[in-house]
Amino acid sequence: MTTNAPPSEATVQAFADMSAALTGFQSSFIRPFLDPVNLSGTFYEFAVAQVGQSMMDALMSAFATLSSQSPPISPQQIADSLLEVTSATPSNQAQLCQAIVSMWYLGSWYPPPFQTDGLQQVISSQAYTKSLVWNLAQAHPMGFSPFTFGYWSQAPASLETFGVNTGNGGGQ
Amino acid sequence: MSNGASPQYDVVIVGAGVSGNLIAKQLGVAGKKVLILEAGLAVPDSREEYMNNFYLALAKTPESPYPALAGRKGSQANPAGELPDPATLPTPRATVLGLGQAPNKSYLVQAQPTGQNAPPDPKTGEIRGLQFSSTYERNGGGTSWHWLGTSLRELENDIQLYTKYGHGVDWPLTYTELQSLWALAEKEIGVAASVVQQEPLDVVGLEYPPGYQYPMGPIPTSIVDQTVSGGVSGLQVPGTLPDTPGGSDPTMYDVFVTPTPAGRNSEPYDDRRVCAGNTNCIPICPIQAKWDPTVTLGKALDTGNVTVSYQSVAYNVDVRGQSVTGIDYYVWSRDDQGNLQKVSKSVTAKIYVLACHAIENAKLLLLSNNQKGIANTSDQVGRNLMDHPLYLSWALTDQPIWGYRGPLATAGIESLRDGEFRKYRASFRMEIGNEGWNFAVGDPYTTARDFITGTNDSNLNDGGPNGKPVRLGGTALALKLNNLLTRQFRIACMFDQSPLADNRVTLDVDPNTGKPNHTDGLGIPRPKVEYGMDPYTMEGFRMAAFVCSAIYKQMGATEFTRTSVGATGDFTYRGQNYHYYGAGHVVGTHRMGNDPYTSVVDASQRSHDLPNMWVVGSGSFPTVCTANPTLTLMALAFKSADSIIAALK
Amino acid sequence: MKKIVTIIVLTLVAVTMIVMSAIPTTMATDNKPAIVLKSQIPGDAQFGPLPPNATNEQKLLAIQGDFDIYSWNTFIALNWPPGPDGNGDPNKTIGQYGDNDTVWEHYRDVSDIFLAGGKKPSWNGPVTVPTQCKASYKPGMRILSQVGKTPTVLTDFSQPFNTGPLIDQNGNYTRYEILVNKPMFDYILQNTLYSKAGQKVFSGTVKFPCGVLNGAEGAIMVKSSWKVISAADKNRFHTQTVLVYSPASQNPKYPASCSTKLMGLVGLHIGHKTNSGAQWLWSTFEHVDNAPTEADVANKKFKSQYNYYNPKCSGQNCTPNVVPPRPWNPTKVSTFHSQVVRMNMFKGNEFAFESAAARNSDALKLLLGVNQNSVWQNYELISTMWPTNTGQCMATPGDPLGTPAPNFLANTTLETYIQGMVPNVSSNCIECHNNATMTTPVPSDFTYILQRAQ
Repeated sequence: MTTNAPPSEATVQAFADMSAALTGFQSSFIRPFLDPVNLSGTFYEFAVAQVGQSMMDALMSAFATLSSQSPPISPQQIADSLLEVTSATPSNQAQLCQAIVSMWYLGSWYPPPFQTDGLQQVISSQAYTKSLVWNLAQAHPMGFSPFTFGYWSQAPASLETFGVNTGNGGGQ
Repeated sequence: MSNGASPQYDVVIVGAGVSGNLIAKQLGVAGKKVLILEAGLAVPDSREEYMNNFYLALAKTPESPYPALAGRKGSQANPAGELPDPATLPTPRATVLGLGQAPNKSYLVQAQPTGQNAPPDPKTGEIRGLQFSSTYERNGGGTSWHWLGTSLRELENDIQLYTKYGHGVDWPLTYTELQSLWALAEKEIGVAASVVQQEPLDVVGLEYPPGYQYPMGPIPTSIVDQTVSGGVSGLQVPGTLPDTPGGSDPTMYDVFVTPTPAGRNSEPYDDRRVCAGNTNCIPICPIQAKWDPTVTLGKALDTGNVTVSYQSVAYNVDVRGQSVTGIDYYVWSRDDQGNLQKVSKSVTAKIYVLACHAIENAKLLLLSNNQKGIANTSDQVGRNLMDHPLYLSWALTDQPIWGYRGPLATAGIESLRDGEFRKYRASFRMEIGNEGWNFAVGDPYTTARDFITGTNDSNLNDGGPNGKPVRLGGTALALKLNNLLTRQFRIACMFDQSPLADNRVTLDVDPNTGKPNHTDGLGIPRPKVEYGMDPYTMEGFRMAAFVCSAIYKQMGATEFTRTSVGATGDFTYRGQNYHYYGAGHVVGTHRMGNDPYTSVVDASQRSHDLPNMWVVGSGSFPTVCTANPTLTLMALAFKSADSIIAALK
Repeated sequence: MKKIVTIIVLTLVAVTMIVMSAIPTTMATDNKPAIVLKSQIPGDAQFGPLPPNATNEQKLLAIQGDFDIYSWNTFIALNWPPGPDGNGDPNKTIGQYGDNDTVWEHYRDVSDIFLAGGKKPSWNGPVTVPTQCKASYKPGMRILSQVGKTPTVLTDFSQPFNTGPLIDQNGNYTRYEILVNKPMFDYILQNTLYSKAGQKVFSGTVKFPCGVLNGAEGAIMVKSSWKVISAADKNRFHTQTVLVYSPASQNPKYPASCSTKLMGLVGLHIGHKTNSGAQWLWSTFEHVDNAPTEADVANKKFKSQYNYYNPKCSGQNCTPNVVPPRPWNPTKVSTFHSQVVRMNMFKGNEFAFESAAARNSDALKLLLGVNQNSVWQNYELISTMWPTNTGQCMATPGDPLGTPAPNFLANTTLETYIQGMVPNVSSNCIECHNNATMTTPVPSDFTYILQRAQ
């Protein structure tokens, strides 16, 4: 196991911004101003350990290019491009992006098909309790409710409140 | 192995589960000295380890939090997730991950999938060779660590199925007596409900003594419940479908929803917090708002009269004439290299109680006396194994109903649990699930992965050109999943399965040599299970499928129920495939009755053959009835405790 | 897509807030926060400037530091010798005579708020003296009756898995008490939350008053833990001679008892509702001799003695942090001694360690400067839990817990057995207290005391 120096703030921020585009969540939700849980850092380092620094660097570089287009393209377009959603045979890089979406949504590493020795695993207990697919259900991870008695009788808060970038101007 | 000296204990109890802990507590309060032999590991000081196991488990099965004897896939100790061979474990038990596996992965030795559904027996119509799909735990606290909390009372006709409908057998108790016993159990557990809300169910014979009040007010219903309740308004279904063998019940029954009494706190109770809707009752409540047997065990230990010996596996009940004279057990441990060690011990007492689960109780009785078996004049030990086989249906509403919130289930349809139709087909209750399609298809994981990777395991990703799956990302993915996940719900139907003599637990031994075919890590023979369904039960499935579809149709919801063919837990009946699950409600293997030639224990769960032995738990149920069994099995344990205390005088 | 970059604007007066955060993310003041010897209880934390281009870690460290300074200032002010009006006496200084009576010990004990029959309490009324204590009681004496956060006798305080008592190396049970300040008491009184009946008719949202910097005090609740000590140890502890009362118990069965004992303070929790702490601010202090850390044990670096650890432990009961076996009988000296180790709950949150160590060092200098024999030199801050994402005196929608930092926090004397890092189970002040309700299931604004109403 390599012990690299932790990634720089700029690197983590860029990874968070890319994750926000890929997942459809608000950037400020993925990487809040104060981030004591720091899943962005954890997931970045985890992914690098799985696929190697150079593959991650290439992906971040592709993201940097896409997000510095002039005129700018939307997060949706960035996501569609990186994930190659229209392709029947997504590249390794697109497969890695699928795995990154899965990390955020499901708290787990689902080895991309090119990672033949990959191991499917839950990344950490915090990765699970903060996994985001439950926000898409406007609910909470099973086993971790931040709500109080009787909440289930009432309709939940909006999808924007749950951190999603619905494209309706909630967050960015 | 008595040496003539006065035993140190009044009572030895095998098993620290619901019944064992309750009886220990009652005895301890009465000043009796009790030893509990628990096969598995001690109750941990906090549930951190269990919750962490759960969080890290890839397959969040009911067993996933509990001592990792079944090796979590992806865990450090077992990265490839190989299921350990039960032959190497001191306390192997039936697990969900072990279902359908060969004996080197499945503790219960039983049918495996052949890819074909067995044809029905030409004489009886039964489909034999089916897999028994329920699982259990062997640790301090037992299986009900992961009960849902559902605390329904049985119906009056549940316990007189034979007298009333000519099917099955009657219970040797009156409803009035059970009502007093349920009240004790409801207080011990802390059941939240309102008698007023249950009143509509007097149509199925649910009655309470006048003025009865539950210990706590009811748990609020969920939006799913409210939607289903509104959606089924006015719906009626017949008692039987056309061409039901044996007869018909054309009465139209109202379908309506009632809140479910539950053993979870609706106010601070018993030093435990109020439910926060963690939606995790099965497999474990993180905050113990849901009662579990360790609560009662704590009170038992508080008496100062109860000792628990953990990692103590009973393997023989010693009998001389009509008396139990001791229990032999192994105390197991692991040495520094991780090798399993065992030491054989014996203990004597005045009275003995077997409380280690319907399957393990039967196994122990059959093992004893050099595998000749004990307490079995009736030949019913191990027989009449029943479950609530579970039929799961699921659907997508057209408007959001917001599942994945609140306790796993807060309401159900109980209004179809009784009627003339019980002469012809199994009755069932319907549990409305609050957890979306989690049980049904493994959501939200499955649908999320479908749209991320372009698969269609959920049946929801067929909207691409030519019905092909699509891949999505970003906001489009988020909105798509939101649209789908918020409209998911499921209904589980649980059947009053017939007691069948050939549905049984036996020892997995060679009939000629008596040598075990399969043992556990301590050398103890493993249970063999034979299981099947009769037309009475399968006709219940046919009805349930009809009712579920009718409900979804009336609600304007789109049904997505699937059945696979030839997979474990399937059968084909009258041309229709049905997949069944186990509800975890294992009953029947030491049935109670008044006649020692047809039952193993009496109404107090005292052995007919051996008056100083009680065999307790849901194994004593003569029929599985229509309510989830935990409340009733605890109620019976109160009666057993009283009879034991009386016998000790 | 770019995140909005927060710009630190240095102004003397105006504050620019980009988000409606309770923690000013851009504020700088000309007064850098510091630990001071003042009797004034801070109404809230004060925030200093963030380093320019701060990383996430640096921001967390800086703000944690501000909260830890706030915690020490609160500790000092609460432990200040009180004047006749109950507030800190400006003519005295904490520890100037070694030990001293404290402001918080004149707050109202919860057993004098939630009275039998739901009787109306008073701030200054007489203390409830149990029958067994009447003979030994002298006015002004304190009565300690709790033996655990889920006392087996008082069926009220809820914790995951009855956490059990803490038993010292002499076999004596550790005792607890909970007291609240006047603003908190007044809110309970005004809204008749002191009785079951009153709680039933309460139709609003429980919302205790928020403290404001240089303004209102806000609601404060204090939970203290005490150990029986000998006179020889007096100068190492803040001590009180109190009545230790155990109500009669049915199961386990033992009669009521009351005895006078010299007790030493071993732990202090301070919960404070403030503008920046909509989910409250949670400060916890411990006596420096309570227990070794995991690292100390691994390196065999032991002090000569601990309150709850025996370095020479041998035999069966030496596994650390194990709940004493039942039955628990606090009226008897126990043969079981708790062997406590402070677990590292700050993995990934190393800023919590760093900040607490620095603030403890600063505070120690100040306290010793008053008197080399100040008993208060024997107390250290473990950390302060604060919500990182919250509004002014109200939660941010979508984040009811406020994403606390650090992620976990425990006091070895008060959360002995849940010192882990498992979400929703291991000790996290805000997560656990979020489950708090009244006797009805209505949320009670992060306090469990309202459950005690009769």
